[in-house]
Amino acid sequence: MKKVLGLYLTMIGSFSGISQDMTQLPLKDMSGFNNQAGNWQVVGEVMMDPTIDVHDHPEPTEKKKRKKNEAPPQAVSFTEGTGVLLNFPNENQKSNLVSTWTHGDIELELEVMLPKGSNSGLYLQGRYEVQLYDSWGVKTPKFSDIGGIYRNWESAPDKSYMGKAPLANPAKAPGLWQRLEISFRAPKFDDSGKKIANARIVKAYLNGVLIHDNIEIPLPTGGPVENNEVEEGPIMIQGDHGAVAIRNFKYKMMHDLNAELQDLAYEVYYQDFQTADQVINAAGPDLEGTSDQLTYEVVKRDNGFGLVYTGKLQVDEDAKYTFNLNFGGSARLKIDDEEIAEGWRSISGVKDLTKGEHDIEIIYYKTTSWIDANLGLTISSTNGLPKELNAFSSFPPNTSAVSPILIKADGDQPRLLRAFLDYGGDRGQRLTHTIGVGESSGLNYVYDLGSGNLACVWKGDFVNATPMWHDRGDGSFKPLGMIQYLYNGAPVEGKIISNGYKLDENGRPTFVYTRDGIEIRDKVYPDANDLKLIREVSSDTAIPTYKLIESSRIQRMDNGMYLIGDKAYYVELLSGQTPEIKNTGNKKALVISGSTTPIKYSITW
Amino acid sequence: MNSLKYLISFCLVLGLVVGFAQPIEEDYYQIVTIPVPEDILLEVGGMSTLPDGRIALSTRRGDVWVIENPYMANGAVPKFTLFASGLHESLGLAYYQNALYSAQRGELTKLQDTNGDGRADVYETVYAWPLSGHYHEYSYGPKIAQDGSMFVTTNVAFGEEEWWRGESRVPWRGWTLKISQDGEMTPWATGMRSPCGIGMIDGEFFYADNQGDWIGSGGIWHVEQGAFTGHPAGLKWSDEPNTPIEVNQETFYSTFDERRIRENGRAVKPVNIQNEENPLTMEKAQETFSEITLPAVWLPHAILGISNSEILKDETSGGFGPFSGQVFVGDQGQSKIMRVDLEKVDGKFQGVAFDFKENFQSGVLRMSFGKDGSLFVGETNRGWGSAGPANSGFERLVWTGKVPFEMKTVKAKPDGFEIEFTKPVDLESAKNPNNYTGQSFTYKYHSVYGSPVINNEPLKIKGVKVSEDGLKVRVVVENLRQYYVHEINTPGIKSMGGLPVLHPRAYYTLNSIPKGEKLLESELSKAPKTSAVKKTAPVKPKPQLSSRVAVLSDDEIKPLLQKNTCNACHKKNIKIVGPPFKEIAKRRYSNERMVELIYSPEPENWPNYATPMAPMPQVSKDEAMKIAAWINSLREED
Repeated sequence: MKKVLGLYLTMIGSFSGISQDMTQLPLKDMSGFNNQAGNWQVVGEVMMDPTIDVHDHPEPTEKKKRKKNEAPPQAVSFTEGTGVLLNFPNENQKSNLVSTWTHGDIELELEVMLPKGSNSGLYLQGRYEVQLYDSWGVKTPKFSDIGGIYRNWESAPDKSYMGKAPLANPAKAPGLWQRLEISFRAPKFDDSGKKIANARIVKAYLNGVLIHDNIEIPLPTGGPVENNEVEEGPIMIQGDHGAVAIRNFKYKMMHDLNAELQDLAYEVYYQDFQTADQVINAAGPDLEGTSDQLTYEVVKRDNGFGLVYTGKLQVDEDAKYTFNLNFGGSARLKIDDEEIAEGWRSISGVKDLTKGEHDIEIIYYKTTSWIDANLGLTISSTNGLPKELNAFSSFPPNTSAVSPILIKADGDQPRLLRAFLDYGGDRGQRLTHTIGVGESSGLNYVYDLGSGNLACVWKGDFVNATPMWHDRGDGSFKPLGMIQYLYNGAPVEGKIISNGYKLDENGRPTFVYTRDGIEIRDKVYPDANDLKLIREVSSDTAIPTYKLIESSRIQRMDNGMYLIGDKAYYVELLSGQTPEIKNTGNKKALVISGSTTPIKYSITW
Repeated sequence: MNSLKYLISFCLVLGLVVGFAQPIEEDYYQIVTIPVPEDILLEVGGMSTLPDGRIALSTRRGDVWVIENPYMANGAVPKFTLFASGLHESLGLAYYQNALYSAQRGELTKLQDTNGDGRADVYETVYAWPLSGHYHEYSYGPKIAQDGSMFVTTNVAFGEEEWWRGESRVPWRGWTLKISQDGEMTPWATGMRSPCGIGMIDGEFFYADNQGDWIGSGGIWHVEQGAFTGHPAGLKWSDEPNTPIEVNQETFYSTFDERRIRENGRAVKPVNIQNEENPLTMEKAQETFSEITLPAVWLPHAILGISNSEILKDETSGGFGPFSGQVFVGDQGQSKIMRVDLEKVDGKFQGVAFDFKENFQSGVLRMSFGKDGSLFVGETNRGWGSAGPANSGFERLVWTGKVPFEMKTVKAKPDGFEIEFTKPVDLESAKNPNNYTGQSFTYKYHSVYGSPVINNEPLKIKGVKVSEDGLKVRVVVENLRQYYVHEINTPGIKSMGGLPVLHPRAYYTLNSIPKGEKLLESELSKAPKTSAVKKTAPVKPKPQLSSRVAVLSDDEIKPLLQKNTCNACHKKNIKIVGPPFKEIAKRRYSNERMVELIYSPEPENWPNYATPMAPMPQVSKDEAMKIAAWINSLREED
């Protein structure tokens, strides 16, 4: 069961592990980038008003210089400081930003903030553009929307590249930080300079949602630093189209790892072994020989054997190497007579190796009949990409993945579906009395009937119900798309008893619960433009205190909206009350006290 | 011309063959598969017949469908209307006063169509209970009592490290709850482990459980207020206010060891103790804790199901055949329906169980009689596997109008049993006591998953008496044992028309031996002298090495697999509940090791199979070796 469920977890989330050993641009000043016209600067905190189109307000405001109510509101404002790269172009100053350093294969991640209507782009190697654009609310994203691989404008058929739209549009509203993660492979060339492999995005995620998966980019996109393809090129961020802010820029240079196994010899013993030492000490192999490749297939049985491989491992640079050995049964790995690990089904370990030849010994033994025999060895280093050292058939890729059960919400009426929800993706915070509501607008939410609260909102497809409906299932679904968890708790104090929900003529639910005898009704629906969700709480009696939001940070903006968390989403009160920002332990809460209802507010993310 | 003649005579021969063929279930009850629109997946969790004859059913996917003309009258294809959707893995559906009620995982919900468009617009929470979020926390029901109050039952969760141990992490897991129409909940009874099968019989609430920890075998229990039906997980909450249960979990576990074992810092799964002296049984435990309620009828595991489900009384007044007033019990794993007849002895229900109808396309979970007396069957196996290969199904069982020759019922008598047949018996066969065989046995009450059959002993049949009308036979048994399951087998009995009994095995759970007059010795017919078989001393099998066990052919092994119920879960080539024999062969167990595994299975060796195998020490060593040798013969050598 656990094994099967593990397969579902990969749909959302960053590619874990890669962010280790990354270098972060300090952004204390503009070092690391070529000189530019002055439209780029390093600042402290950036605020962008999502209601103001950047084109209408071409000047940014430095906040401390502006007295309250003095100047008209601006799309972009900032404070002095470091850590954030801000571009604000004008007619005269509109340079692209080009790094002084170059890269080939790279893992990178950054956070980007765009004002309303803005446009920028991240050029990998200065040649392959991942679009940065205010695509908030776009239902069917194109190559020209945020995360899209941009096209070029060549007319010759063999030079023309039409770009590639992202798999989804997880764009956040203007003024919010958006997280982009890309695993990129540079094009490869032979000795004569002929390209033998296209540039490739292995994975790209925007706001945790997969937008490209193993996509080749055959040609440079529009507006490159130079219209050619090379092994190494700089990072370029487009600066001439519109304002953009960037922070937490982290990267790790990668390259193909040159490692090979040589002089492999094997011995096979048909006995039951409990330890690797027993295999080593066994007398008289039943089979022996040499092999060009590392494979368990030299064993002619599927259980009750010990297999010893010895040989040489050739590496072409000094580095810290990581070994991952996967197998059905037990195994031990030694390099230069030093034990890396011994264990069950999977072992890994790290060893510093110098350039050259090293002894390798693999002992694989198996007495557990229900596991399939297999043996796979992968080597990687801090900057060396993982390389499989086994024969393909010795450790074939997992092909037993389950066909997913994806639920759409594209009908005339909302799709309602109850399921467990792991709040924040955390099984330890599983909510058990929750219902997902999907709208054809692509604005979806989970309501917790147990606490009378809105647990999360998301944009995109509805839910993946595979965890609930495949096999025995575990009762839970996973929201698809760009999700924002709100808070896990109840908005009112006291005992809450759910009375269920009623559907209106459009099939939208009104949730009803009682709290100490007071009946409270709760309704959530998209705004007229299908951009945000509006929540309306009503009761025939005044509610003593009502907690709209709880978060690490709540900022009131000049326009009256509230910025929640680390500029993660907005809340705007629509029903006239004045909420207070209260301290609740180490968090802040947005609370309305002693109010008559309705309490009506929007959530924008 | 010659060929025509040949054809005619061929048909005659064929007709003759058919005429003499053994009767089969399908001669009397036929399964009709109902056409379902292609995009609808009916993993049925609940089913109810509406007053206007439509069938409402709820599914794992959370939909409630209402099906018009499911009888396919006038050759029509049934029409499906979506009444409600979005429920959390609904596992029950009941109609009451213009509303449908369904147990979702976390609550009992009332579904109402207030605007008359045929779709529910009110999803009212009648009562919500807490959950920990464990996958096994299923909730079933409701069944509606005469006063409109509703019974709901709840599964236990399993441990994290001790994944084999049923546990009640939050209140009312492992309980039966009684919930009033206005949402008042009364904790009614506990001891439930996996109470998927529930039913009302004459206004009384019954439930079926499945074999598992503390549940030696499946069975059906009469659940009165304050009953404790055996699984101790729910006792965790017996000290809560308003519970009718006195015994608390601490007292229970200090009396009966739950066998929490730790070795090398790891929990160890308790296994059946072979050759255990004086093992605990439920009736012995009942001497200490009087709240323990014994099953009214044991449904011997692997013979009469492996995962019992819906309990439904036949109230069709003959529309469904000759078993009116009796009770049908479904089974998910074996995809079949059993038949039970209850009687009250000393104020408590007990009774007899038979096989009834097998070969449904998936696991039988829910049943409901249609207006025409046919039985609608809602099916799913939800990842547990089932004898029927499909994952879900909606079928209908129709009586053909022919009465099968069956034991209609078996009643307990002070000196044995009275079998009533559906048709008069052939007197010669019926009055011969040699044509009745049987055994009695019971189960352990322990924290191990399931129990082997224990203390089994052949029935000593003293004699029989056939009634004048040939419909009833008194079977006088010398060694009746209170609380034991008594298997009564009628292999040699023929009807007056010469037919054998369609399902010749009855299993009577003798919780009480009725008082009253016994038959006189002189009234009994004895075995005819001519049929007295010269008894020879049984040949003791010589001890043999693994390699020297003669391998039986498929035909020869079949009766052994049948007798020892192996084929309830295993087939030669295909996966049903357990692995195919061919897969087992691939494991290269020695014959001796395989016999060990028959006696003490290690389900952890088969992580892709959901239902663990129960220990089968009742299989004789000799037969186990033959079975093992046959299984190993299926291995294709490398």
